[in-house]
This record gives sequence, structure tokens and C-alpha cells, in this order.
Amino acid sequence: MPRWGMVIDVKRCIACWGCTIACKEEHFLPPGVFFNRVLIGETGKFPTSSKLIYPVLCNHCEDAACVEACPTGATYVREDGIVAIDDTKCVGCRACMVACPYQQRTYYDEKTKNREFFPGQGKTEMETIGEKLYPFKLGTVIKCNFCSERVDEGMKKGLTPGKDEDATPACVNICPVGARVFGDLDDPNSEINRLIMEKKGKQLRKEFGTEPAVYYID
Amino acid sequence: MNDNHQNLVETMFPSDGSGIKPYEWMISPTRQRQWIDEKGIFLWLAFFFSEIGAGLYFMSLFYSFRPGIVIGWLITLILGGVIHMLYLGNPKRAWRMLMKPNTSELSRGIWIIGVFAVLGFLQMITPGGFNMVFNFIMGILCLLIISHGFATMNVVRALPAWSSTVVLPLSIISGIWVGHQLLQLLFALSGSATVVSGMEVWAATFFLIYILCIGLYAWGTWHMSDVAKISVKKMLEGDLKRITYVGVGVLAVLLPLIFTLIMWGGSTNGFLVFLRLASVLAGDLAIRYLIMKTAVYNPLI
Ligand code: SF4
Ligand code: SF4
Repeated sequence: MPRWGMVIDVKRCIACWGCTIACKEEHFLPPGVFFNRVLIGETGKFPTSSKLIYPVLCNHCEDAACVEACPTGATYVREDGIVAIDDTKCVGCRACMVACPYQQRTYYDEKTKNREFFPGQGKTEMETIGEKLYPFKLGTVIKCNFCSERVDEGMKKGLTPGKDEDATPACVNICPVGARVFGDLDDPNSEINRLIMEKKGKQLRKEFGTEPAVYYID
Repeated sequence: MNDNHQNLVETMFPSDGSGIKPYEWMISPTRQRQWIDEKGIFLWLAFFFSEIGAGLYFMSLFYSFRPGIVIGWLITLILGGVIHMLYLGNPKRAWRMLMKPNTSELSRGIWIIGVFAVLGFLQMITPGGFNMVFNFIMGILCLLIISHGFATMNVVRALPAWSSTVVLPLSIISGIWVGHQLLQLLFALSGSATVVSGMEVWAATFFLIYILCIGLYAWGTWHMSDVAKISVKKMLEGDLKRITYVGVGVLAVLLPLIFTLIMWGGSTNGFLVFLRLASVLAGDLAIRYLIMKTAVYNPLI
């Protein structure tokens, strides 16, 4: 069984927010909800300051704080390492949101559901279709799922996640500079393992011991 | 800016902070919002009521005072329980929280409250229910419920202000102190002046330990890490400083201190006991509010 992970090359990333938007389209995310964000910060003082660009998403942690906190088992780690949420079990206690050191979870309530992309003008066709095609359950927590639908469907068709677009997360497909690589962390010969080894991939906030499956290289 | 544009801006940057803010979000220390803002306020109240109910039950065990355990039991289960349910997104599925006691602190808490509900009821209806064994078991359960709220927060490693080691002792002593005050008032209302006077020495002791724990919490959090220090700063500066100075400084510390000094040596009177209790309740609520409201995460980059 593979263990899916991602490598993000922060030197390549140009902060175009393509991943953020592709993700919103893929999952029909309402306004204000982001499974993928691009953080932009600065270190140092002008003229020697440098810009930090970090695309962030759920890290699909091996030792996930959200899984530990979930009292119902709604949040769980799949065999392939993807941290998923069973919305039929979620009680909406938000313990997972508080526990996640990366703040990667969103509570889906009436207020979130009712937001419109064009406020006061009703929902667009895309929003209405999205609610039917990709319904979120009210009072539950949602987050990035590494596009598990694409991965699962693609694998059923014999495709390889990370290589074939139809089996690869939308944020990876869209990236115009190839800053994101998706693949199997358990395969010693995979592209992402090569990048992690060669470029000394780092995980965000390693000190929490969550063992993220998302690595950053530069 | 016309109305539509204003709405659009509000949608993209909602006041709850959930919008896209590339230059702020998780770049600077970010406050936890889920367990205190909006509906999160229910959780703050639920933890408070569970704690004071269990505190009253716990103290009543030492005096074999049946009305005390009945009221404590009701506060914990009805007020604490119902308010907890109001917080949940899907309260009808709350039973699912009993399914994973081995993993999460929340589920363990639900189990403890369940056992407390059953055994507490049995103790109430059993003649001679205040025996050693019952008292011991119920005492332990009460302490676990008193600390349940803060224990749930304490395991969140991502929030240093909650994972401080003083959080648990503070919650236990605050439950005992508030419970003691409630019991003292119940005795005052039932006309047991001697008991009320005799309880005063314990009031002074619990109060002293409570103040010590508040001080230790603030000092420990300040010295814990840079991010934890921000939590303390948030209490002392900005919007929340009034709650700190009035809620904690005056209501939790100063007024109870004055009333305790007036009643020093056991010269109690019902009205002063009532005033001190009111002040202590408001003060305890303020402390819990601040601890929940000011907890911040480390920035991601
Ligand atoms: S990043 Fe947060 S939500 Fe995602 S698996 Fe890790 S702890 Fe859970
Ligand atoms: S909100 Fe849902 S997924 Fe999150 S901890 Fe509670 S039950 Fe689990």
C-alpha cells in the first residue's frame, strides 16, 4: 500500500494562487473556505529582506493531532496515509480544529453554506451545481483530502497518482511551474523521495511530532 | 465604496477571520477561535457549569449534605450537559463520542460524566449513601469532571497557553474553591450558622491556593515561550484588558480577599458569603474566558 505525500518547492513557487483556485473549483468550496493557501511573509529588513512563499494545505500527518483529538473516530487515517473525515460520524465538536497545529480545518455551518460569491445576487450556477455534486454536511468539519476521489478513481483505472493527471490532486496538476510533486512516500524510488533526500525536504512545525506527509524543499 | 463592493469585501475578508489574508493568516501568531468565538461561547459555559456542579458535589461529600450533591449533580448534568449539546454541530450524534474512549480526551470525559450520572444518582437515592466507598469513588469522579474542560484543552500541544502544567492544578482548585463557596451559601440559606463559620478556615485556604495558581499560571505562561507570552500580553493589553483587570483583578481576587478578611476567624454572615460567591463566580468565568480567548498558535512560517 502506498503512503501518499507531497513535495513543494518553495523556490519554484511564484505565488500565483493557481493551487488555491484549482482546489476551490475541484471541491466547490464556498467563499471564505480554503483547503490550499499560499502564505507570504518576509524576513529581515529592507534592503536585505527576503520574501517567504509557502503554499500550505493539510499535511496528512502520520501521527495526526486531529485524529488523536477526534472523539468519534470521524477523522481517521486511511491505509494510504490520507487523513480523511467521515461526515456521517462527525459531531461538530471542532476538537480537531483546535488540535491541528497547522489550522487546516474549516467548520461548515449555515453561515459558510449561505455565503455567495456575488453577495446579494443569489448563488451562481456553479455554486448550485457544486452543492449537489460535492455536498458538505452542515455542522461538520471539512478539509483537504489530497483529492482522494481523483486518486481512488484514477487507481481503479490503473493510473499512477503523481504521474497521470486524472489520478493526481488538482493543485499539483494546475501548478504552472511544477512546484508541487505528488507521490508515494513508501516507494524508495519515487520522485518525491528522491527530492526529499537530495534537497533535504523539511516538514512544517516538526516539533509537534505529527510527521507531516507534505515536505518543503528549496 | 458601494454596497455590493462592501459586501464582496466582507465575504472575502469576513470579520471571523476565515477569509483569505495572505499577509496575516498563520504568519503571525493566530488565535484559536473555535472554542470561544460565536457558538464556541457555549463550550466556555459548559465547562464552567460542569466544573462548579462537580465542585459542589465534591465539597458536599465532606459534609454528607444531600441537597448539595443533588444540586451539584443537576448543575453538572443539566446545565453542563445541555449547554455542551448546544455547542455541537450535530448533537443527535453525541452518543458517538462514547465510541473512542481510548483515543480522545473528550470521549474519556463523556464516559466519566456518564458514570458520574449513574453513580451519583445511586448515591442520592441510597440510604446511607455517604459511605467511605461511595464517597471515595464519587470524589475521584468529581475531580475528573472538574478538570475535564481544562484537561481537554491541556492536551492541545499546538496551543502553549493551554498545555502549561499549571492549567490542571488551576482547574482543580478553582472547582473546589467555587464548589466550597456554593456549599457555604447553601448552608447559610439553611440556617446552619455554625457550619458556615467552621467552613471559613477552608475558604481562606482554598482562596490562597487559588490565587497562587492564577499567579503561577500567568508567570509560567509568560516564561514558557514567545508565543505563550503573547497570550499573556493579550490579557494585559488591548480589548481584553478590562476583563483581566475587572474580572480577574477585582472580582476573582480583590473583592473575595476583602470579604475573606472581613470574615476572618469565622465571623461569617450570609449576605457577605453571598456577595463573595457572586464575585467568585464572575471572576472564575472571566479567568476561563481569558484563557480560552487568548490562546494562540505558532505562526507557520
Ligand atoms: S495538518 Fe492538521 S488536519 Fe491535516 S492531518 Fe495534520 S493535524 Fe490533521
Ligand atoms: S468536529 Fe468532527 S471530525 Fe472534528 S473532532 Fe469533532 S467529531 Fe471529529
